[in-house]
Amino acid sequence: METVVPKISIVFRTLFRADITTQWRNRKGLVISLLIPVMMVMLWKDMVKTAGGAWVLSNALSYGLVALGLMGYSNTIARDRDKGIFQRLRVAPIPTWAIMCSRLLVQLLMIVIITLAIFIVGYDVDHISLSVSGYIITLFTSIIGAGFYLSVGQLIVALIKNPDTVNSTSRFVFIIFVVSGMVISLYDKAKKLPPEYATIFHWSPYGTINTMMAAGMEPSTWNMHATNASLATIGYIVVFLVIGIRKFTWNTK
Amino acid sequence: MTQENSILKVEGLSVSYGNTVAVKDVSFDVRKGEIFGLLGPNGAGKTSTLSAIEGLVKFQTGTIMVDGYNAAEKPLYARASMGVQLQSTSFQAELRVPEILQLYAGVYGVPLDKQRIDAILKEIKLEDAVNKKFGELSGGQQQRVSLFISTIHNPRLVLLDEPTTGLDPQSRRQLWERIEAVREKGHGIVLTTHSMEEAEAVCDRIGIIDHGNMIIVDTPQALIDKYKNDPEVIALSRRGKVTLEDVFIALTGRAVRA
Repeated sequence: METVVPKISIVFRTLFRADITTQWRNRKGLVISLLIPVMMVMLWKDMVKTAGGAWVLSNALSYGLVALGLMGYSNTIARDRDKGIFQRLRVAPIPTWAIMCSRLLVQLLMIVIITLAIFIVGYDVDHISLSVSGYIITLFTSIIGAGFYLSVGQLIVALIKNPDTVNSTSRFVFIIFVVSGMVISLYDKAKKLPPEYATIFHWSPYGTINTMMAAGMEPSTWNMHATNASLATIGYIVVFLVIGIRKFTWNTK
Repeated sequence: MTQENSILKVEGLSVSYGNTVAVKDVSFDVRKGEIFGLLGPNGAGKTSTLSAIEGLVKFQTGTIMVDGYNAAEKPLYARASMGVQLQSTSFQAELRVPEILQLYAGVYGVPLDKQRIDAILKEIKLEDAVNKKFGELSGGQQQRVSLFISTIHNPRLVLLDEPTTGLDPQSRRQLWERIEAVREKGHGIVLTTHSMEEAEAVCDRIGIIDHGNMIIVDTPQALIDKYKNDPEVIALSRRGKVTLEDVFIALTGRAVRA
C-alpha cells in the first residue's frame, strides 16, 4: 500500500474552510471590530467638512485594522496554541506554512470586509465618495496596513506564550496605537504639533499607514512622501514579521 | 515503502531542549501487527520520544523510519503514514464533529461524503451529537473523536499518548476494540500509559524508558520471568505474585517524579 500525501491545494482549501468556519462562529470579535469604525464614520460627519473625507475614512480604517489585525489575530493564535490545536495539525501531513497562511488569509478576508463596510457607510451616511482608482488603491493600502498590525500581533505571540498575557499586551498596544495615534493625528491635522514631533509621528507606523491610506483615497495627491510612507510600512512589516516568525514556537511548553 | 517487518524503526535517537537532554541514544522498533508500550515515570522521555517520531520536535542524532520513510528526509510521507492521538485532545472547540471529520479527512486525503460521516458518527456512538460543537462534548466523547481521527486514514502506524486517561470503562473497552481492529490489519501501534495492568494486558512488547534511556525492551511476560527471582522485585510484590508494576518500580526506582 503506497502512502499518499494529499495535494497542497486540497489541504489548503480544507484548512481554509475550517478556519473560516471557526472565525464565523467567533464573529462577536469581528462585529466589534466592524461596529466601532462604522460608528466613527457615522459620528464624525462634521469632521468630513473640516478634515476631509479621506482623513475620516483613513482613521476609521486604521481603528478596524488595529482591532482585527493586532488583537483578533494574536489572541486567536495564542489560544489555539495553548489548546494544542496547532500541534494536532502539525502531526498531519501539512506543511507548517500552510497552517499559518490559512490563518492569515482569513484575517485578510475580514479586513477586506471591514474596508468595504466602511466605504459603504462612508458613502451612504457621510456622502464620502472616492474615485474608482481611489477605492482600489485604498483596498490595497488597507491590506498593507493590516499586514503591519498582523506582524505586530505575530511578534506579540512570538515573544509571549501565556494567552492571558498575550490578550492584555495586545490590548495595551492597541490602546497605544489607537488612542495616541488618533489624538496625535488630530493635533497634526490642525498643525498644532511641533515640527520635530510631527516628523516622528509621520514616520511612526501609525503615521506611515495613515499617510499611505489617505493618499490612496485621493490618488491625485499621491506623492513621493506617500511612496516613502508605503515603503516604510513594508519595512516595518518585514522587521516585525521576521522576528515574529523566528521567535515563534508552536507550543507553550 | 519497506517490505521489512518493522513499521517503525528508531535508532540512536537523542532529543535535547537547550542544555537538557530528554532522550539519549534510544533505539527500538515496532513490528507489523504489534502493540508496543512505551512506559516510564513522569519526565522519563516518553512524550519527547513520541514527539520526535511525530515530527513535533527536532532530534539531534539518530534516524526514525516510519513505514520505510525517513522522518527527517520525507517528513510529510512519514506523517501521512502515521496516525496520532496526542495526550490532550485538541481540536477547534467551535467546529462541529462532522466538520472536524471533514477537516482531517481532507488533510489526509480521505474522501468523505455525508453517508460515510453518518456511519462514522454511529460507529463512535455520536450520532446524537451531530450538531454539537467539539467544545460541547464530554471528555469521553472528545476522546472518541480524537481516537477516530488518529485512524481516519487507515495509517500503518498509530501513536497513542496515554489514550485511556479520563475514560470510563465503557469508553476504554471501545478504545481497546478499536486498537485491536487496527492491529488485526497488521498495522503497528505505539502507546504510552501509566497503567501497568493495561500494558501487561494489551501490549505485545514494552520498552521501559527512564532518564531518557531505554532500559529494556521485551514482552511483559519475559520481563516478569526475568526479574521474578530478583530479591528487590520480590520485596515489592504485594500478594506474592510478581507483576509488571513490581518490575517497573524495581527498574525505575520508588521515588515519585514531578
